[in-house]
Amino acid sequence: MDYRLYRKWRSWGRGVKEKLNLTGRRSRAVRIWFAEVFLQRQLFGLSSFRWLIHLLIFWGFAALLFLSLALFVFKPLDLLGIDWGLSRFFLKGAGHLFIKIWGDVFGLMLLLGLAAAGIRRLFFRPAQQVNDQLDVFLLVYLVWMTLSGFGLEGLRLMQVPQEVARYSFVGQFFMPAGAYAPAELTWWLTVCWSIHAFTGAALLFYLPHSKLMHSILSPLVIGLNAIEEQERKDLYWPEIAKHRPTGLPRA
Amino acid sequence: MAGNSKAQADRIAQGLTWRQLVELEACTRCGECQVWCPVYAQDKREALCARGKLEALRRMVDGTMPEQGQTEFLNSLYECSACGQCHVVCPVRINTPTLWEQARQSLAKAGIRQPESQLKLLSVIKEFDNSYGKPQEKRGRWAELAWEEGFLLKPLTLWRDKPSSFLYFAGCTASFDPAMQAVAVQSARLLQEAGVEFSILGEEEPCCVGKLRRMGDGAFPEEARKRVAQFENLGIREIIVSCAGCYKGLNSDYTGLRLWPEGQRIIHLTQMIERLILDGCLSPRFEVPIKVTYHDPCHLGRHNQIYDEPRRILGAIPGLKLVEMPRHREFSSCCGMGGGLNVAFRELQYKMSASRIREAEATGAEAVVTPCQTCYKGLLNGVEQTSSRMQVLHLNELLIRSLCPEATGARITEAFARHIPS
Repeated sequence: MDYRLYRKWRSWGRGVKEKLNLTGRRSRAVRIWFAEVFLQRQLFGLSSFRWLIHLLIFWGFAALLFLSLALFVFKPLDLLGIDWGLSRFFLKGAGHLFIKIWGDVFGLMLLLGLAAAGIRRLFFRPAQQVNDQLDVFLLVYLVWMTLSGFGLEGLRLMQVPQEVARYSFVGQFFMPAGAYAPAELTWWLTVCWSIHAFTGAALLFYLPHSKLMHSILSPLVIGLNAIEEQERKDLYWPEIAKHRPTGLPRA
Repeated sequence: MAGNSKAQADRIAQGLTWRQLVELEACTRCGECQVWCPVYAQDKREALCARGKLEALRRMVDGTMPEQGQTEFLNSLYECSACGQCHVVCPVRINTPTLWEQARQSLAKAGIRQPESQLKLLSVIKEFDNSYGKPQEKRGRWAELAWEEGFLLKPLTLWRDKPSSFLYFAGCTASFDPAMQAVAVQSARLLQEAGVEFSILGEEEPCCVGKLRRMGDGAFPEEARKRVAQFENLGIREIIVSCAGCYKGLNSDYTGLRLWPEGQRIIHLTQMIERLILDGCLSPRFEVPIKVTYHDPCHLGRHNQIYDEPRRILGAIPGLKLVEMPRHREFSSCCGMGGGLNVAFRELQYKMSASRIREAEATGAEAVVTPCQTCYKGLLNGVEQTSSRMQVLHLNELLIRSLCPEATGARITEAFARHIPS
């Protein structure tokens, strides 16, 4: 991923450099950026169904990525015996329950978003949609990643008391039936973690080659253009769907 | 299959900005541009919509575009009126019209040839300083004829003889095209009716060279700089423009290059007239009992956000009823006259304008009104194509009918025709 991104960065560097005039424009540009990136206002205007799908996937994916990155920092600290208040709170304190809820809420959002995207892609099939094999592959890949995450969570829940496990309100449905010896569980946990981690790492490597690249570049472009677009006050249209050419599907 | 060469790819990329190169990869491929594209609506090829063009241009700058794809991409890049509809609907806000213009310039610089008809027009503009290939001495003739024929309240003064607060910039079409000279005459008459003191440049009026930018001629910045220097030397600070294309050139393009000095104002005639009506300097008084629909020119609307002023002017005309087409304001469907499309692909322009005329007819209006002379001509093509009974009117014409009916377009054209040597 890094090398591919580096190559892209070099490639963009061939272009003419521009100076952005930010004087007196920052706050409005930030507001536009927030509305368009975090709330995806334009998409809401185009189709509330598409907006819901994209928002579920966007927030679900972003929040789970954030959780993974946070744990990527906390875990090694814990293993190295470094007692940092924040990592102690989230790994061993009350914050642990918060992590369980966070993971399940956003995991569920991602799963619902992906399911809806699949339904739209396979059943609604809007005329303008490109539906090639790589798009379907990416969708299946993300579903697999989410399910493997829940599977891993289900195994972890086997090691914690029921009063803790109930906070993983989705993960508990993925708990395997029966009783297992701790050594057996550890082996399965290692396998499942490896699969999930490998899937995640592979996605990061695949990202610059896929349409998911827009997840990095779109917010960047929206941010860069927002500085100029604030002067064109009516470029964003919440009622855009009203003007849609007739005879075309809405979804 | 081998792609285009690395050297060519680098040359193309070097002509785009860093941000535009990022934009090529930021496309989510959602296809919203395809839904709204007025060109795609006529010829359903993926290469024509913004998504197709972005992907093709990305491959061109990556050096992975096969030869066959290059030809298709080049055609699609010029089969585009750069109307900006894809920009408005894009959830990522990719600034497509600017990108297409910059890409045309970059490709030309990289030695990739553009349509012959466009090249011919560009050389005419550079040689004659107007897009009609006529001698500049004739540019101010409309003003002399208008006075001689009694269409003006007083003769128009040349800036070099008597500078005023405002310069009226007529543009090439209204200055040279016999069918459109009425627009220049009526614009001047309306300003006179309101008591506005203004001058014209006459034969010194240059072409705004906006077409150079639209069709990707690399000489545009230098030519634009020369014109700004000319205006500065003459002490011109406020320019009233009646042509939407000139307004886009002088207002958006020159400003984009940061050429104007602080405080320079470019005013479109509709902005000026609306102000004059609000201030009570201009009061449409005669009834014009007609039901019209308004066509937003891309260069005024999507490119410069002038939507309300023309509608408020129409609202001020007694007896006139305005009905909107389903696609209006930001979603106004392009008539196909912009971006050099009509120069290179006339048949496509006919189809696009025909489609717009059918949309206008469906509103039940008797006439479609526009403040742009280029759209006016384009829509007339649509009327011809569809054998429609729909009238096409310039906004000036309706105002004139309500203010000074002796200066209607038909009378001006008829009177001017008498002066054309047979």
